[in-house]
Amino acid sequence: MDETVAEYIRRTVLKIPRDEIKTMLQKWGFLSEEQLQTLNFHQIKDNISQEVVQLCEENSADIKQAAVLDIIYNHIYQNKRMWSVYQMKKSGEEWDYFDITDFKKKFKARLRSALKNVTITFKEYEDNAIWIRVAWGTPYKKPNQYKPSYVVYHSQTPYVFISASVLKSNLPLLCQALIVASNYHEIREMELRSHSLDSLKDIVFKRYSQNFQTYSPKPLPGGNVEPEIADIRIVQENRSEKERIHRLNWEVFGSGPQPKLEFAQYKLETMFKSDPKMGVLDKKEPFRCLIKFSSPHLLESLKSLAPAGMADAPLSPLLTCIPHKARNYFKIREKKGLFPESFVSP
Amino acid sequence: NADPQKTAFLLRKAWTLYSVTPLYRFHRARLRDYARLLSAFIAAEKQKGLAVEVGVELDIKVAVSSLADLRGSEQDQAAVLVQLSLRSQASSRNSEDKLVWLGWFCSVYGDDLSENVPEDFTCLPLFLTHGAESYTSMVGSWFQKTFDCCFRRLAISPLNLSWMVAMWAGCKLDRAASAVELVFSVPHLSQPLDISYAIHPEDAKALWDTVQKTPGEITQEEVDVFMDCLYSHFHRHFKIHLSAAKLVKVSTAVASAHCDGIVKILHSQYLPGVLMLLTELAISQIQ
Repeated sequence: MDETVAEYIRRTVLKIPRDEIKTMLQKWGFLSEEQLQTLNFHQIKDNISQEVVQLCEENSADIKQAAVLDIIYNHIYQNKRMWSVYQMKKSGEEWDYFDITDFKKKFKARLRSALKNVTITFKEYEDNAIWIRVAWGTPYKKPNQYKPSYVVYHSQTPYVFISASVLKSNLPLLCQALIVASNYHEIREMELRSHSLDSLKDIVFKRYSQNFQTYSPKPLPGGNVEPEIADIRIVQENRSEKERIHRLNWEVFGSGPQPKLEFAQYKLETMFKSDPKMGVLDKKEPFRCLIKFSSPHLLESLKSLAPAGMADAPLSPLLTCIPHKARNYFKIREKKGLFPESFVSP
Repeated sequence: NADPQKTAFLLRKAWTLYSVTPLYRFHRARLRDYARLLSAFIAAEKQKGLAVEVGVELDIKVAVSSLADLRGSEQDQAAVLVQLSLRSQASSRNSEDKLVWLGWFCSVYGDDLSENVPEDFTCLPLFLTHGAESYTSMVGSWFQKTFDCCFRRLAISPLNLSWMVAMWAGCKLDRAASAVELVFSVPHLSQPLDISYAIHPEDAKALWDTVQKTPGEITQEEVDVFMDCLYSHFHRHFKIHLSAAKLVKVSTAVASAHCDGIVKILHSQYLPGVLMLLTELAISQIQ
């Protein structure tokens, strides 16, 4: 077995938490059940990985098999990576029957015609997701297995999720190979990025609970804003205001869980306006700023701002449009004309 | 004024800030003795096993020196620098000791404090450290025992942070400057939220220039107007009351400061000004 492959397998196994190693090796299926029985999972990881490498040596593992193990690791720990979303477009209305073999063949051919030194690995999952791993080399160097790109493609949709390696120069080639292989016409990057791959899918596949702007005479789901208090001497101040905020929040966000995003970024190039009495800045040029919201669960925290008294209800459409516009990067410029208060987001 | 070469080591490092009460019977002539005593103290702490930590080594060399130029007025005491280095393992004379910890006491225009203090006391209210917390704790303990003084972490309130950002945003800089950034935290939500508000430095300065009425002088009112402008621009877009969030960090091309009392000074030209502000904060925490 190639030394570089041995080292790669060793390092991949080292990344896996000790309790998960056995399960992941079973999923991999490259080592037999008998071989797995011989492994002592109660020693330090260094030793476990050495033993795994020895077993792989017995089975003459090559880079192809090692790459599959890597995909399995990244599929389980997908949230460690940052994912970007790309949308593909067809020129016409024809919907070809999707042939996975044809897709793989065309994808490999397109990449290999441009770059001889690439390692390409596919793995299909039950939810119709095709995972593609590409390790990039140069005409003179073998592929760098430690900085691969990952692509997740749901063949029934025009969306591709890419976690590029640091080597961004390979991105155009990767995109080209995708559209050629999937019979699309063009591909563009959406302004949507997150660590949570599932949440990105929720957003573009519209799998989260949305609320449509229809008047609903039914009682508010979730019941009252405040729990019933037995002592009638205690009166809720601002009850109607609290209920109004609750209702507006529900109208915008719906009652289901929000897709999990970690940040939203706004590049503002709007004019600075202030009370003329303050006598401050009144330039004809935009007040340039970059605003970034971050949270372990951004949409949930935005949802709780108005009830906490930190924001007006309804919350600004710049924030509430994130899921249905499927973007979390925005450039906001001043809208010229009749309504200077409204904003344009290209 | 301070020679920029001598003070270059202060720049671009994250300093943790403390306020220090006046030192009793601190004698500048005895700096060498103090270095020896502190070194023995640290070795003893090691033996006791009190500071057993990865990376905290046994063979520490201590140097204590005076930085004559680092002060504001003639009334200020010159700064005192404490350096902890790891004695080099190699026996050759050419190998250098590795610096593992730095701490310095200073006073820049700290007259408010030094005016009212009896003769035996030395006023150096601001203490800045860079390096492992375990070393800071040992050095602090020794100074506390030896000079009967008291160290306290210097927290920087949102009010003071807003002063800093307003002042520093208005500084004139010859090179291309980095953005003026304010970081807010909203902790008590179902999920915590952080908001970073970064303004193009030219636009921030232009705003401050129209707010500030008298050059060289800053009033609380002007700082409030500046901040209100930023809050209302933000509210216009997002309908969020940023004034209700907690300002935790400000960052400009001159310096950056975090509410936990951590400061980074980036520009030597403004070093005295920043130290003066921090001395003032230290003094008000002591009094």
